[in-house]
Amino acid sequence: MALLEVENLDVTYATKQRPPLFAVRNVNFELNAGEFVGLVGESGSGKSTLGNAILKLLLPPGRITAGSVRFEGKELTTLPDEELRQMRWRDFSTVFQSSMNSLNPVTRIEAQFQDVMAEKSDLSNSQIHDRIGELLQMVKIDPSFMRYYPHELSGGMKQRVALALALALKPKLVILDEPTTGLDVLVQKEIMHNLRTLQREQGFAVLLISHDLGTVLEVSDRVLVMYAGEMVEDAPTHGMLKHPIHPYTHGLLGSYADPAAEEVEISYIPGRPPDLTRVPKACPYAPRCPEAIPLCRQAKPQLLPMWDGKAACHVAQMQWNDEQHNHTRHSEEGPKLLDAAFSEATSHKAMKLEGEEVLRVENVSKTYQRRAGFKTTSMNAVNDVSFNLRSGKVTGLVGQSGSGKTTIARMITGTEYPTSGAIWFGETRVDKLKGRGIHNYRKHVQYVFQDPFSALNPVHTIQYLLMRPLMNYGKLNAAQARQKVRELLETVGLTPAEQFETKMAHQLSGGQRQRVVVARALAPDPDIIIADEPISMLDVSIRAEILQLLDKLVRERKIAMLYITHDLLSARLLSDEILVLNQGHVVEQGAAKTVIRQPTNEYTQLLLEAIPRLERPDHVRASYVPTAEPTKVQVDASPVSEE
Amino acid sequence: MDTQDHNLKEPLEQEGLTVTQGVTTAVPEPPILEPEDDDVVPQQARAKRHVPEWFEVIWSNRKARVGLILLLFFILVAIFANVLAPYSPTDISFGPSQMPDSQHWLGTTQAGQDVFSQLIYGTRTSLIVGALGGGLATIIALVIGMVAGYMGGIVDEILSFFINLGLVVPALPLMVTVAAYSPVKGPTIIILVIGLTGWAWGARFKRSQVLTLRVRDYITSAQFAGDGTLRIVFREILPNMLSLTVLSYISAAIGAIGAEAGLEFLGVGDPSTISWGMMLYWANNGGAMITGQWAWLVAPGLALAAITSCLMLINFGVDALSNPQLREE
Amino acid sequence: MRYFIRRFLFFLLTLWTAVTLNFIIPRLEPGDPAEDIVRRLAGQNKPIDPAQLHAIRLMLGIPGGNIFQQYIDYLNLLFHGQFGVSYTYFPYPVTTLIGQSIMWTVGLVLTTNIIGFIAGNLLGAFAAWKRNSIFDSFVSVGLSFVGTLPYMWIALVLLFIFAFQLQLLPMGGGFSETSTRQMSWGYTLDIMQHALLPALSILITGPIGWIMGMRNNMVQTLREDYTRLAIAKGLKPWKVALLYSARNAILPNVTGFAMSLGGIMGGVVLVESIFNYPGMGRLFFEAVGNRDYPLMQTILLFTIVGMLLANLLADFVVGLLDPRVRKGKN
Repeated sequence: MALLEVENLDVTYATKQRPPLFAVRNVNFELNAGEFVGLVGESGSGKSTLGNAILKLLLPPGRITAGSVRFEGKELTTLPDEELRQMRWRDFSTVFQSSMNSLNPVTRIEAQFQDVMAEKSDLSNSQIHDRIGELLQMVKIDPSFMRYYPHELSGGMKQRVALALALALKPKLVILDEPTTGLDVLVQKEIMHNLRTLQREQGFAVLLISHDLGTVLEVSDRVLVMYAGEMVEDAPTHGMLKHPIHPYTHGLLGSYADPAAEEVEISYIPGRPPDLTRVPKACPYAPRCPEAIPLCRQAKPQLLPMWDGKAACHVAQMQWNDEQHNHTRHSEEGPKLLDAAFSEATSHKAMKLEGEEVLRVENVSKTYQRRAGFKTTSMNAVNDVSFNLRSGKVTGLVGQSGSGKTTIARMITGTEYPTSGAIWFGETRVDKLKGRGIHNYRKHVQYVFQDPFSALNPVHTIQYLLMRPLMNYGKLNAAQARQKVRELLETVGLTPAEQFETKMAHQLSGGQRQRVVVARALAPDPDIIIADEPISMLDVSIRAEILQLLDKLVRERKIAMLYITHDLLSARLLSDEILVLNQGHVVEQGAAKTVIRQPTNEYTQLLLEAIPRLERPDHVRASYVPTAEPTKVQVDASPVSEE
Repeated sequence: MDTQDHNLKEPLEQEGLTVTQGVTTAVPEPPILEPEDDDVVPQQARAKRHVPEWFEVIWSNRKARVGLILLLFFILVAIFANVLAPYSPTDISFGPSQMPDSQHWLGTTQAGQDVFSQLIYGTRTSLIVGALGGGLATIIALVIGMVAGYMGGIVDEILSFFINLGLVVPALPLMVTVAAYSPVKGPTIIILVIGLTGWAWGARFKRSQVLTLRVRDYITSAQFAGDGTLRIVFREILPNMLSLTVLSYISAAIGAIGAEAGLEFLGVGDPSTISWGMMLYWANNGGAMITGQWAWLVAPGLALAAITSCLMLINFGVDALSNPQLREE
Repeated sequence: MRYFIRRFLFFLLTLWTAVTLNFIIPRLEPGDPAEDIVRRLAGQNKPIDPAQLHAIRLMLGIPGGNIFQQYIDYLNLLFHGQFGVSYTYFPYPVTTLIGQSIMWTVGLVLTTNIIGFIAGNLLGAFAAWKRNSIFDSFVSVGLSFVGTLPYMWIALVLLFIFAFQLQLLPMGGGFSETSTRQMSWGYTLDIMQHALLPALSILITGPIGWIMGMRNNMVQTLREDYTRLAIAKGLKPWKVALLYSARNAILPNVTGFAMSLGGIMGGVVLVESIFNYPGMGRLFFEAVGNRDYPLMQTILLFTIVGMLLANLLADFVVGLLDPRVRKGKN
């Protein structure tokens, strides 16, 4: 008997006013004692819903509508509340996403351990106190911190406290939902490492929920992949790396690459997941799948064992059957990727153009004064930074949060003034601009925001949003501007433009919104674009798409771009030059390939090491030909019923 | 490079499939994705064209629907008061202090006026005071709250101080004091006093709302798009505060109606006004207690409670507009 | 520490503004209070005798000189606790009158509000915990109707039913005229009997704001991760509800408590005047009726100061309850 068995689980969000959302459908999997399993999916895939359903922590209107969840054979879905409460934390515990909110803000750390330990263990108060100290040390936090309040700890510390808390009663299963999202990569790496070590020592089982396949593959024994509320693949890690069975897994893997490789390429999956208010009658991935055959659009594939794992894919299943019958081996050949990829080689930066200098940053420093009580402390956010932006070239600014990269961007755009140094835009001193001057300057310097969900005002249509810069800077009248809006939309790949211009931002997907944001930045025909983490909020599978768009625009329109990121891979792909920033200092600067392949600075090396290495054989990329002729496929098999 | 350009020109959505045409043997068929129009937020797309979405949300809330119907009822009563009221509210030709009977449903006042007619005419005063007093307070609150929130810095410090001051000063006694000093009496001065003293809550509310809105990326984005401050305030920030503004307008109207009744009951109003507050004043001072005229006493209070309730019910619906979590499940 | 210093500075600044406002309001209005009182004494239409006017001015202590000098004098008088003489209860100084009535009001307001606050928050927390139950629907719909009833109307109806019709309770006042006014069980009971209806008038609607506020706050905090984590921990439900969800949901209500006293004061004025209760509210009502400006203004000033003190106290309590606030964040 497995530790956790999930069978045919359905979760639905049903309200009176909206059509119900079928968030999780017919999910089956098992988890054995001591196993470390990853659960991967993009936003809206139902992975967190599944995690909450297992813990019976679904927020209304979410409800388990069918199926069963068994823990050590005990049916959790029908277990009386009181019995379930007895099992909680002793049998299974959890760590939530690294939000500000998972620890009670008004009580000390100690109290948050104390209440559950006092209620659920036989330890005396002083024993509990000692045990809390041990637990904190286990996650490398000094026991004295138990006297602190949550807001007095950093994000990484809070997350480690949450991990220690989850292990307080030595549970058999810990479910972690995006435990490191939003933390710096170095901290992420440390926490994951810590978790894995503890798991090996103490032998609890882990279900690690994440959007980041890279991280999950690095630490898990086995990986579950969800797409649009369904489980599409369940395979051991080494197998998945070597031979991803489902085309979606394959597509996701394509978004990863080693930035320090000689040649770097990442791919994306065009399109977006289906609307889950209507249950897909067939394979939900079929519309995006490069290998889809007619059957994929007619019948739903079952999650069936093949090779060393399980997958729900008609094509893979046929291939597997074929292999079984003919005793041929295709397994070394994964499914082929579509050529929707972005690589350094195909990037326009391969064209060796010397761009002319557009902006020069000269020995710029920024010091913030902070008053605490009667003491004034100063903090050097940016320290003596110099670089230039060249037309048609991308300068990558790489650093963690607090490294000063956003401060640099703000100074370049004139929203903040440097404490010393100068910023030259041609003959203009940017750091001396005020009022009208800044307004005029911004025609030349535009910004692409990190979060496409907050960069577009929800009350306006796309057309209004794009007309504003055109009318303000281009001095166009409304009719001309409307015409230009269509051109812009087509430039950023939103076609047909007529369909998009009347929409509101909330009617678009994340990737589409980010394209609108890019279009808005392009509208005044700027010389410089500051792109502040433009892909970090997007689903992994579409990131390369936006990178590709940015690359194309920069090279074709001879725009100088400052690409701000924490992610070395995208920096390597897009940038010509890279600056690595650590606590306000530039610690490394040079051609992108050199900086990443031969880092001289210790910090850059640390950053590089923190990137999940997917040791994948090269031949995974080899293409293969589906063995079954589409025309021969029997389609009379009745479509799988939904509920 | 060719492939790249090719990809970029491809339509993004389901058509993206065609990217694969050249390389798979699969024959792409029309995908089973739903039509472009409503695949992200289908529930929004279904709103009927001629009914604005906000109205739909409010109307879909059962409580708000009752409130709107009630409000319409009160408005009709106020408009057609002269038709609906059996007598003139100031006619003193009836016998004083009569108990309710078929002629005078709610009896007569000490001066011999028909209570029922006064009740009907009183609707006018309450609605007008609510609409105007609440409106004045909301406008002041909007200006002060938005300026404080958007400007920040020293301007915010100063205005916040006045907002906090307005919050701690007890409203009714202040109103009474101001109204008592006033050389003229009557509803106009009461509306002014209510508007000038009752804006603090709304201002605080709006300031904090602006504070959260102005750090949104889309405000920075509008600055980069070259929009001026006024345009940003009115076209980017204000529309996002619309439901909250309506919410605080209705709350201010409720406050104004209550305050007007209170002020008149305390005798700072014009004694000849026909209003529910004045009716209570006369009921209390005219011996309704001693003569046992319960109807004279009860009716105006219930009317006040009814109009306040109906506004509150509407607020439930508006609340749902700004806070989807409160929408009925 | 910074937090408390900041709050105290705000207190001082607000106090000064309130005092100044109190100086300005009467001076914005046309007319002369001395003239007014002479008119009242002599009758509306008789000509005013300047000598009489001057005499009244001196008697009332109405300041002369330019506005700046008046302001200095005014502050000086305030500083020495001289708030002027009441027109109505001439020649008693207003402080004497307020001194006699203040305890009645403080007693009434504090008792009703503390009871209302505690009951309201508990009921609101319970409604949120049992969201969509019958109790919750009663609370969120039924009580909000009751909450719309005006104070004065509730007071009038209570008075009408219990004093006039049923004659169970006294019709007004703070104590019986016949009572000995000595500390005794009988006297205490007498006071309680007189206070019952005024207190009830405030208590019927008083807690409703807290119930609704607490319910709405807690509906939010119940969805917060820390509450869900507490459920995941398998803590006893009451611990989850009170120590996690309600504990956080009550914070805005504590700030609101002091603020609400301003609204309550309005109710107190109405209720006290209806029950003829010997507190500051009724005194204020009388002052308004008799255009007794010094009395009116001083009561307003005292009320504002009371509100400020209550706010200061509430800030202090919030600081104790919420560690994040103590860190100097405002």
